[in-house]
Amino acid sequence: MLLRRFGITGTIFSFFFMVQEALVNQLSFPAGGFSILLILTLLWAALSTPEVAAVVGFGGGILLDLSPSTSGPLGHWTLILVFMSYAIAFFSYGDENMRGNPLSLILMITLAQVIVLFSYVATGLLLGNVATSFSQTLITLLGSGIWTLVVTPLMLPVVVWLHDLAFDSRMRI
Amino acid sequence: MRNGGENRGRLLLVILIVSSLFLITLDLRGVNVLDGLRNGTQTALSPFQRAGNVVLTPVKNFVNDITHLGRTRNQIEDLRKQNQKLREQLILRKNQDGEIEQLKSILDLAGTARFKIVSAKVISQGSSLAFTRTITIDSGSGNGIKKNMTVISGEGLVGVVKEVFTNSSIVMLATDPAFKVGVRIAGSQQIGILAGLGSSSANLQLLDNQTTIKVGDVLLARGSANAQPFVPGVPVGRVSSVSNAAGAVTQSATVKYFANFGALGVVSVVVKAPKADPRDALAPVAPVPTPIPTVTVFVTPSPSTSPSASSN
Repeated sequence: MLLRRFGITGTIFSFFFMVQEALVNQLSFPAGGFSILLILTLLWAALSTPEVAAVVGFGGGILLDLSPSTSGPLGHWTLILVFMSYAIAFFSYGDENMRGNPLSLILMITLAQVIVLFSYVATGLLLGNVATSFSQTLITLLGSGIWTLVVTPLMLPVVVWLHDLAFDSRMRI
Repeated sequence: MRNGGENRGRLLLVILIVSSLFLITLDLRGVNVLDGLRNGTQTALSPFQRAGNVVLTPVKNFVNDITHLGRTRNQIEDLRKQNQKLREQLILRKNQDGEIEQLKSILDLAGTARFKIVSAKVISQGSSLAFTRTITIDSGSGNGIKKNMTVISGEGLVGVVKEVFTNSSIVMLATDPAFKVGVRIAGSQQIGILAGLGSSSANLQLLDNQTTIKVGDVLLARGSANAQPFVPGVPVGRVSSVSNAAGAVTQSATVKYFANFGALGVVSVVVKAPKADPRDALAPVAPVPTPIPTVTVFVTPSPSTSPSASSN
């Protein structure tokens, strides 16, 4: 059962990774754009238990680290997403006001995405990555937040359906 | 029982965090296996990126046309008159023409400097969420491309090869904040260091406090030892503003790159540079203002009719 669940989850994440690299990255979005793999990971974590969310964060982080356009060391995204996925699931698990309300979910994912990117920049500085200018970083953070706010509602029904498919659950959102 | 479940969850979290830190440590220590993983991922993704490029090219052209509506209005009017099939063919053709134009200008530049180049199509733009400015091109080690080779377009310097895979390469663009290149000013030969700012402009810092710089000065790459990572003489950009901050040791300036990083379709990698430095031979000629012909009009007053004549 566990193998089947994580097999389906892995396939879904790999598919989104491929779409991100082959299609989304081809387009130049103003102010930073968005990452559907990052949104998927955070949404999946929000719908799961903290333990599953941590594992999903680990897997999603590994895929983001393997992306050829990633500049940081392997494990950088992984570390941040393990923390953030666990945190999202920890705060929302069992809280139906949070999970049952799509608006709360969307706002939580948007906020989490901005925090994740900020953490990536901040820890990147500690790991020796060269940072872009402060204004550019701010534009990218704000821009990606807005893009996430736009894209998450479009992805939410699909992700909920896929999550139900993988975990045989019936989410009501 | 619940405590046991929570403990298991925390143990799992600790294991995952330790694994992540372990991966970061291995990568920072330069373990080859991890590099191989990224290489393998890029090799596996390469065909999908090519396919994605083919699928999205008409979309990108469409968006490009919309954003440049003023310039392409007539072209759009013509396209509207045609049926869907012809429209798609025209867009494809237009894309190919654009690539040919870019390729032609690159060949002109490379021919003047006697560079040996390998041309490549841009198949992907790096995610700007990674806070870097990169592109992926469809040529790699199989085509003779190596790390740290200069990448040019018809206008000038584009960047430098950062990673090389079998069939593709990742190019760090000159706009990347980590990008730095030694430059000299065409003509005066003053030298300085140009650093990317994450936008289409860059910051120039002169090295000598006795020299001056002015708006409009053309910058060329100074070149590196063995022409890697930078071949000498490649046009880089034009000074757009000069900063004369009081107390600064040397002058600094803002430079606008010649290359249009938003419309890179075809680029070339300089695989071999000539022994002789082309000096200022590649510097673009400043646009000469077209003289406006002066038209002198002689006005001869027509004989006015007198009141008495009109009354007759």
